[in-house]
Amino acid sequence: MIPVRCFTCGKIISLAWEEYRERVEGGEDAGTVLTDLGLHRYCCRRMLLTHKELVKDLNPYQ
Amino acid sequence: MDIVFSRLGDNEARFVLEGVSDGFANSFRRAMMSEVPTLAIEDVRIYDNTSVLFDEILASRLGLIPIRTDLSTYRLPSRCECGGAGCPRCYTVYTLSVEGPCMVYSGDLVPRDPAASPVHDRIPILRLFENQKLVLEARAVLGKGKEHSKWQPTIACGYKHYPVITIDDRCDGCGMCVDECPRGRLANGKGKARVIPERLELCLLCRLCEKACKRGGIGSEPAIRVDEERSRYIFNVEGDGSLPVREIIKEALLHLKESTRSLLESLDEIAGGTSDEESE
Ligand code: SF4
Ligand code: SF4
Ligand SMILES: [Zn+2]
Ligand SMILES: [Zn+2]
Repeated sequence: MIPVRCFTCGKIISLAWEEYRERVEGGEDAGTVLTDLGLHRYCCRRMLLTHKELVKDLNPYQ
Repeated sequence: MDIVFSRLGDNEARFVLEGVSDGFANSFRRAMMSEVPTLAIEDVRIYDNTSVLFDEILASRLGLIPIRTDLSTYRLPSRCECGGAGCPRCYTVYTLSVEGPCMVYSGDLVPRDPAASPVHDRIPILRLFENQKLVLEARAVLGKGKEHSKWQPTIACGYKHYPVITIDDRCDGCGMCVDECPRGRLANGKGKARVIPERLELCLLCRLCEKACKRGGIGSEPAIRVDEERSRYIFNVEGDGSLPVREIIKEALLHLKESTRSLLESLDEIAGGTSDEESE
């Protein structure tokens, strides 16, 4: 799951995650989307940029 | 002491503070971060959790959700009449009951006190798949940021010295500093570089412009100099929504006032005691 807040500054970056993923999967440039979503500091940007969603992969092993 | 706001919104403030020492500026910053209480979920009673996340991770995620805080309604448990045992003045309760498949959001938490609802409704807490279920009860209390960062009312909260830029006569307007500045602080004009006044406060004090100027072969001293004005600070305060920034600033200043007052009182006690003895 996407962390609720940025590890460094504490901004609620999880709010932006769903839209970010949709738009990037739709072929938009990740950097532009991040700026669009109001994530200007690089600590917050790397949170979304480097996130890998794993809950689906873990589910069968419950 | 002088304070000039250039921006004051609900969740963000930018202001210039003048005529104070480094020590005061820093205590002010730290008071805003760690001495202003907010509500955050502290205890979670989990009745059913068949999701992929462990109870502990789930509880940690719940704790990080910012909650609207009314400081006139709630008290710190340590300062409450109940003595910390728990009463409606020092905690509030949320219930959550969801069945998958779906995404569980912060908005699914049902607050007992509607005024103390989560700031955002769309914070993803966890994903539930087929036949998974989550039933829990959470209790939020007031706390301070110095204990756990979930109680910090601020996100980014910091200051820097006020920049002073001087460009001397040796400048030949080569424009290398202008190209180098990451904040677009400088411009070229009339054969000489100049500072764009509206962008002055954006300066990072990175001194890349000085380096660029030296690289241009002007000598050992650059024609442009970046200095910091002592005792003048640019503050940037961002709130997480639990309290309006205006209130964070006010509460932090009240805390500083209160702690200096109690220090003075104890000093008075000590000094008063000795002077009495001397007069006898
Ligand atoms: S110190 Fe950095 S930000 Fe400030 S004017 Fe020079 S290059 Fe620009
Ligand atoms: S790099 Fe130096 S000489 Fe060139 S414009 Fe800037 S201040 Fe002037
Ligand atoms: Zn951040
Ligand atoms: Zn109480």
